[in-house]
Amino acid sequence: MEKEATISGFYEMLEARGVTRRDFMKLCGAIAAAAGVSQLTIPQVAEAVESLIGNAKGNLYPVIWIEAASCTGCTESFAQVDTPDAATVVLEMISLNYSETLSAGAGFSLEEAKEQTIKECAGKYILVYEGAVLEGWEGQALRVADTPGTETLIEAAENAFAVVALGSCAVNGGWMAAYPNPSQACGVQQYLKKAGIDKPVINIPGCPANPEWLTTVLAQVILMEQVPALNDENKPALMFSQTVHDNCERRGHFENGEFVYEFGSEEEALGYCLYPVGCRGPQTKSNCGIVRWNRRRSWCVESGAPCIGCCEANPSNSGQNWVEVNTPFFKRHRDLRIGDFVFQPGTVALTLTGLVAAALVIHGFGMKISGRMDGGADFEKVRKWDEKHPDRAIGHYDVVVEKVPEDSEDQETKAEETEGGKA
Amino acid sequence: MAHLAHYREAHPIPFVITHWINLVSMIFLIVTGFSIHFPFWPNFMGVARGVHVLCGIVLLLNCIVRVILAFVVKSAPTGGTRVLVADYKTWLPQKDNRHQLGAWIKYYLFLKKDHPLSAKLGVPQKISYLAIPLLIIVMAYTGFSLWGPIMDAPALKAGVNLVGGLMSMRIIHYFLMYVFIIFMFLHVYLANVEGFAPTKLMFLWREHGGLVYDPDQHSIIGEDDEGAKH
Ligand code: HEM
Ligand code: SF4
Ligand code: SF4
Repeated sequence: MEKEATISGFYEMLEARGVTRRDFMKLCGAIAAAAGVSQLTIPQVAEAVESLIGNAKGNLYPVIWIEAASCTGCTESFAQVDTPDAATVVLEMISLNYSETLSAGAGFSLEEAKEQTIKECAGKYILVYEGAVLEGWEGQALRVADTPGTETLIEAAENAFAVVALGSCAVNGGWMAAYPNPSQACGVQQYLKKAGIDKPVINIPGCPANPEWLTTVLAQVILMEQVPALNDENKPALMFSQTVHDNCERRGHFENGEFVYEFGSEEEALGYCLYPVGCRGPQTKSNCGIVRWNRRRSWCVESGAPCIGCCEANPSNSGQNWVEVNTPFFKRHRDLRIGDFVFQPGTVALTLTGLVAAALVIHGFGMKISGRMDGGADFEKVRKWDEKHPDRAIGHYDVVVEKVPEDSEDQETKAEETEGGKA
Repeated sequence: MAHLAHYREAHPIPFVITHWINLVSMIFLIVTGFSIHFPFWPNFMGVARGVHVLCGIVLLLNCIVRVILAFVVKSAPTGGTRVLVADYKTWLPQKDNRHQLGAWIKYYLFLKKDHPLSAKLGVPQKISYLAIPLLIIVMAYTGFSLWGPIMDAPALKAGVNLVGGLMSMRIIHYFLMYVFIIFMFLHVYLANVEGFAPTKLMFLWREHGGLVYDPDQHSIIGEDDEGAKH
């Protein structure tokens, strides 16, 4: 049968890449989970992948990958496939028509390929945008092929089926947007919104983004032709809705109160929790501890480093970029800044509290010297107000004072010669 | 030597209880809060967080109960009298006495020699006590938005986004703890600097004799040594 032939061809292809059938099924499981469909549908997912790759050589899903203000780390991370693995199969499903780093071509012909994709595949390609959008200098900072960077983004995004903002820089500016942000870096979603372009943006944060996050999202968009379920920050809900802390393997030590206070210590050797050395796990939403890194070999906390919160990225606030929010990494709190004055919150709080305490001690001496410690000073004979307004009865404490016309104030002040006469 | 008599009417028993709850949960919150911020003591984190959130809930509920009671229970507006008024009026600066603010500040700055005549709470105290329920509510809000199980509730998330993320929320929560601590310093100092009689009344409900005050006339009308016997 023709189909069987295709499938066996498919498995040959997998085998050539060192991917076992088991690995492949695992990948399909991950895709099914990410798509929010039942694990019972894994065979269907597998079939879909097989037929897509096996059948449609000419029919691959076009992807444009634009690099903006980035360090190329996300591309590197994605391209570092030294050992073949199931996720790379997804690469077989796409046709990467434009990538500054990965495309073999360059210059005019490559730009032409991009233009063609945008025109001919309008509404059918995926735009992967890596790095921050630079609004400064009228977008000229990222001028490529005679077009300002911001214009390139608008053109590519307008015609895409979906936009993937890859890495924290693309999500909200990342460290490009950190103080003082001279280039006015911001995220893709925020920029497109400002430019009035209504396109679904899938935000995949991280510095760099984990390649498995991208492959899973691509697989879902391509196979199901649907954008994965997103949370309120337009990040794939299954990946970015729980904190690193929620799924951390050192969490037991956290609850037990067993901590690493210093690197190189015995506690570190015991694998205790890294909270005191600044771990941002409790406030960073990402599934790093589950998906793990570098082909699932390890991840930050497992390797002994506290989470530095690289997935913190609120797409609508570039000021909330992960660098600004989390530095210095090994302190429990971030630094605060007033002008050029940078300080730790604890220092200010302690200083202020110390000043108040000192003031009270000094005041206490004053009270002592003025003989007020024992019951306070003698009471005044009459309150100043009563003295000024001898003719105005107060009435009961909790009954409103009678209304007096405003202008009568002056006359009464003149008339105050007598004592209050209340005693 | 010129304090007013301290009668139980100033602090009816429900308020003695809410005050105790405030004190205990506040101390637990501060101690556990410090150790959540930085785990100084080993083997304490799980307990600290449990106790912290529990005491936070207790503090918040207690605050709500106290505010409701202010409208239900009557209390004396000043020391030295057994006259009762609606309790909330003894908190809010009244027309009757708010003009004494200047006198109080001058007194505490040693610019005024004699003691201002006033209500149970001096005007500065009234203002700070009004701020405390607000502070507790803000504290609870910032605290709950750091608490994993409910941090995704839209009402909490909105605040987190507004202040720029969980780290900022944490720092605000942390700063507010110092506001509490500073308040406690001031409060303990002002309540006791002129003698411990008010504290005995507040915690042990023990009365104490002294000058008798007419809250309508605003003047001292005598002295009561009987109070000491209660
Ligand atoms: C009123 C209700 C309160 C609630 C629900 C609450 C809840 C919380 C939660 C959930 C945390 C974070 C724990 C974690 O990340 O594991 C926290 C931290 C903390 N809380 Fe509270 N809290 C409350 C009131 C207070 C009060 C009254 C104080 C002190 C006066 C306080 C002081 C602290 C401190 C210092 C921290 C550590 C913050 C840091 O990381 O620097 N909290 N609180
Ligand atoms: S290492 Fe970090 S994420 Fe893991 S339990 Fe400790 S604080 Fe949480
Ligand atoms: S554990 Fe933290 S620092 Fe490491 S990749 Fe995840 S979010 Fe980034």
